Parts: sequence; C-alpha cells; structure tokens
Amino acid sequence: MTQSSVVTSPVQGTDPPGALPARRRAPIARLLWAEVRWIFRRPRTLVVLGLLATLPVITGIAVDLTVNGSATSTPSGPIGPGGSGPMGPDGEAPIFVTMVTSAFVLPLGSLMTLLMLMLPLTVAMASADALAGEQSHGALRGWLLAPVARGRLLVVKSFGVLVVALVAAGLVVASGLVTGLVLAGTDGLVSMSGTELTFGDVLWRLAIAIAWATVYLMAVGAVALAISASTEHPMLVVVSVLGGLIVSEVLLQFSALDWLHPYLLPTSLNSLVDLIRDPVSFDGLGEGMVRALCYLVIGISLAYARLTTKDG
Amino acid sequence: MRPKAKALVAAGSGIAAGIAGLALTALPAGADDDPVLPAIGAEELVTSALEARPPAFDGVAELHNELGLPAVPGTEALDFESVRVFHDGDEGARVQVERQSSELTFVKNADEAWAYDSQENAAKRLTWDEADAAAARGHAESELADPSQAAAEIIERLRPTSDIFVDGTARVADRAAYELVLTPKPSEKTLLREITVAIDEETRVPLRFDVYANGASDPVLSLGFVEFAVGAQDADLFEFTPPEGAEVEATEADDLEKAAGEHDAESVEQRTTTVGEGWDTVVIGEAPARGSAGGSVEGGQDLTGMLEQIGTPVSGEFGSGSHVQIAVGGAIVTEDGRIAAGAVPQQVLVDALDQQ
Repeated sequence: MTQSSVVTSPVQGTDPPGALPARRRAPIARLLWAEVRWIFRRPRTLVVLGLLATLPVITGIAVDLTVNGSATSTPSGPIGPGGSGPMGPDGEAPIFVTMVTSAFVLPLGSLMTLLMLMLPLTVAMASADALAGEQSHGALRGWLLAPVARGRLLVVKSFGVLVVALVAAGLVVASGLVTGLVLAGTDGLVSMSGTELTFGDVLWRLAIAIAWATVYLMAVGAVALAISASTEHPMLVVVSVLGGLIVSEVLLQFSALDWLHPYLLPTSLNSLVDLIRDPVSFDGLGEGMVRALCYLVIGISLAYARLTTKDG
Repeated sequence: MRPKAKALVAAGSGIAAGIAGLALTALPAGADDDPVLPAIGAEELVTSALEARPPAFDGVAELHNELGLPAVPGTEALDFESVRVFHDGDEGARVQVERQSSELTFVKNADEAWAYDSQENAAKRLTWDEADAAAARGHAESELADPSQAAAEIIERLRPTSDIFVDGTARVADRAAYELVLTPKPSEKTLLREITVAIDEETRVPLRFDVYANGASDPVLSLGFVEFAVGAQDADLFEFTPPEGAEVEATEADDLEKAAGEHDAESVEQRTTTVGEGWDTVVIGEAPARGSAGGSVEGGQDLTGMLEQIGTPVSGEFGSGSHVQIAVGGAIVTEDGRIAAGAVPQQVLVDALDQQ
C-alpha cells in the first residue's frame, strides 16, 4: 500500500483533465492470489482435475490386468505392433514398450495421451471462464471498471490459466508416477534404448515433461484467452479450441500437407517420446517449445488487443 | 482512438512475430547457398573418401522414401523416422533407429556388439574371437592399402556402364560437401537417372545418399545426415547392459559365419542367376516364399492373393506371372515360382526371363 498515496501515477500522467485522480493500484500478488482461489473454488475445476488424476490410475490398472492376463497366452510381448493398445481413451497406444506400467513410462504415456484432448479441454475451460464466463454473468464489469489496467487484468487472467495448466500436467504425471510405483515398484525404469535409469534420472525427465506440457498448454490457453476476450459465450471458447485441435490432428494425418505441419501446434506432441530415449534428444522438444511460444505470443497479443478496446 | 491504435499495434506485431517464428521452424535445414570449395576430380575424391577414417562424431540421419513400395509385411524395418548415430572414431559405434513409439538400438565396441529392440524387449549379443577380428581388420586394411589404387579400380569397374563425376557442392547437415554423381550411360535400360553421394569436404565422410529415378525431380530415396557434429563422445554410449527382464540371445561371430557359409552363400549363388550387367542387371532366382509355402498352404495363398492385388499380370515365352512396379524398378513373380528383379522396366524383366 505504499504507492497508494501517489496522486497522479506516472502512467496516467497524460490523462485529459477531469479524469479520476488518485488511482489506487491493488498489489499484483493479491490479485493473482484472488484469481487462483477463485478458479479452484469452482466445482468444475475440481471435478476435471479429479478426473485427470484418476485416468493414469485406471490406465495403469487396466494395462496391468491385460498384460498379466495375456502373458500366458501370448508369450511374444504383451503389446503387439499396431494392435489395439490398451492405453488411451482414443484407442491409440502412444508408446509401445513392454514397460507400460513402470513408474517412468506410465506417467509420460498418460501425459501424452491426455495432452491430445483432455488437458487442452481443461485449459480451454479455465480460459473460457476467465473472460467470457465472467462477462456472461457480469463479473467482468467489476474488473473493467476497477482500478486495474487492462494489461494487468490480462496478466492476472493468464496467470490463472498458467496455474491450471501446471497443476493439471503435474497432477497427471504425479498420479501416473504413484500408480507406477505401486504397480511395479522401481522395476522397469528402462529407456527405449535399453538402458536402465536411476530414479533420479526418471524424476528429472518427468520434470522436463511437466514443464514442456505446461508451456504447450499455455499456448492453447493463450489462444483460448484471445477467443474468450472476444465473446461472452464460454461454450464458444471451448468449442473453438477443441475444434481447432481436432482439425489440426486431422490435417496431421495427410502427408500431402506436410508443408503445413510445422504451423500446427499438435505437431510437436510426439517429441515427448524422446524423453524415453537415451541419451535424450532435445531437438524435437526444443522445436515444439518454439512453436508453442509462437502460439503464445499470437494468442496473448490478440487477447490484449481485444481487451484494451473492450467497453465496460 | 489511442487505445485502438495501441491494440492494433499489439495485435499486428504479435501475430507477425508469432508467424515469423513458426515459419522459422518450418524452414528446411540447409537451405543456404551451395558452398564454394576448391575443385576436385572424381578419382581424387573417391581416393580421399576411402582413405579417411571416420572421426568421432554424433549425428542424426533421416530416410526419405518415395519408392512406392507396396505394403508388404516384413518391410516395417524401413518404417522409421530418424536414426541417431554416435561414433568414437575407433571401434565404438552406436546407432539408434527411432520409430514413432519404439526404438532399435545397436551398440558396438571393441569386444562385442548388441542389438536391442524395445518393442520386443529383446537383446541380441554378438561376440567374436580377437584373432579373427584382427585378421579381418588386417584384410580390410590390406585391400584398401592403397586407396588411390582401390579408387581407380572402383571407377574403372563403373566406367563401361556409367559416368562418374563431381557435380558441384552442396550443404548437407550445415556442412560443406562435394556431390559425387553416378549416372547410367544412355545405352543402359534402367529406370534410374542418377545416384549422388555428398561427401563432406573436411572429414570425407559420406553425408548423404540420393537415388533419382526417371521422370521425378525429387530423389525417390534419400538417406542422409540432417545433423552432424564432429567431437569426442561419451564412452558410456558404446557400452550396453541389457535391462533386467529382457530376453538375451548370445551368438558367436564364428557360428554365424559358418552358418552363412554353409547355407546361404552357396545356395544363393546356386539359386540365382543374373542377366545383363551394369545398371540393367536382372537377378533371377526362386521365390523364397513359394519354397516355404509348401509347409503352410495359407502362406502361399496369402502371397498369391497379395500379388494379385498389388501386381499386374504379365505373360511371355517364359509363362506368366505378376509384375510389381516401384519407382526405381520392378519384379516379376512367375507362376512356376521364379522371381526376376532389377532397376529396369517391365519389358527388360520379361526379356531376361525369356532368355533364361
């Protein structure tokens, strides 16, 4: 509250005469904290996060049962190439290794599978609530009239989405890790190149996966915020983001369009597999990070432009 | 008006920066101009390439395959995204064939070689006798004792049927390289147009291998490094311990050689004949699947059914069969179980079968 005594803040110095004097700036930390509390008080946030935490557990147990059940009948590896893998809600097994239930592959595999739709859905939902949702029931009006610059409003809202992205990605990995530890202990911590990894190795690889997934989700969130700033229908935000992702995934299936693929966000999802290789190759992950940051810049600048011209 | 202008600037610059960044990731590597290098003759280039010992390096190679291979079971091995290669400049080498969701790892050091398939979780170990290995090295070295002699021989052998020359330079994996080109003489009845090998200027390591077919401007087969960095490698990379629970199969090099010597080499020699020479060589042999199909009728039916789907029927003096065409050549599988293949059009295959 030290700067509350400033009569004319330097930023507002060029305001025309007659504008309100003495704008009190709320401390940013308090705004961020309030936003995060607000997000995690919504029941739907908690329900989605709960679901996200359950899916790796279900996957782990289901795969474990399948592997143990079929081990007697098919000795040639539990998961056949191209077979209907037991992983993933869309019937596609992203990782064919025999160590699917290990404390290393299960969290990464779950993260990759969920990054296709579920995690972006969570982030899109948070972004939709952040601006469009609040506007639809009038809560945003308070923000727009309050002594908060529009830029800071965007910072606060983006921070909320970032926290959701981080918590969601971290929750999936943590739940997968715990499930893997319960099912297989520290056995089978093996890279795809056949080297055994220490638990420390596994932890830093998983940490990189969480960080990478958070940036990826933030890119989705930034685009969602831009749409969220332009509409007052939260459903529209979620639908556009999911539609965009599905269209991107479809376009990725056509090799004739491979010139377009570097421009599509989900292109980089597969490079998460590189974390299971030894030594880890960071080329694909780095490129994916650059791609996500580009989407982030586009999304945030559009959201900023829309937000600064928004009428109360 | 002011906030509106500010918004426009923010939106415009943000979108421009984002799209520029995306375009940057889309840029193909090595799109720079061809480097300027001192001129060199084909023979001299081949000599220096044979002379050079590979340095310690690590790199990433990619395969681009436009061969139009029919989807035949057993060709999955070609279905990979990229290969990472590590070499310690001496005995140690590590090759990782990266597939979408699994990996084949080959590790070789002075004493043993390993192959590990993560999909099967199975490892194969190959060991050899030190004396034999030394002898083999000595043999290889004596054969290449005089690289200029060896180069001259290779070029001499190719000259009657091909033109071999250095065609400018290229930038491969961000390194300056010479392009060595091999083209068939006009008299050759082949579907191939040319084969180029890009040889690194500094280390004389082949960096890229391209095969061009008639009527296509892009290579139909291209295997080359997209990343190549010379430098010492971590010694751990060239050691391998199979993970717990993996199936391990151990073999001695001696056994392999014996087995190969007794069965394959001889019988392959007996079973196959070649017609023509140079680029339009046609190899005629017995279809192996037919031979083993005696045991399982199902396999035979599968093969016939598959051939009917992917091939076109042909007939001639030799009888009749199915012709399967890919970008760089073709093969005829006859009704009586012979197979003729070569980098040639269908008519040359038919003629070769007729001659036999």
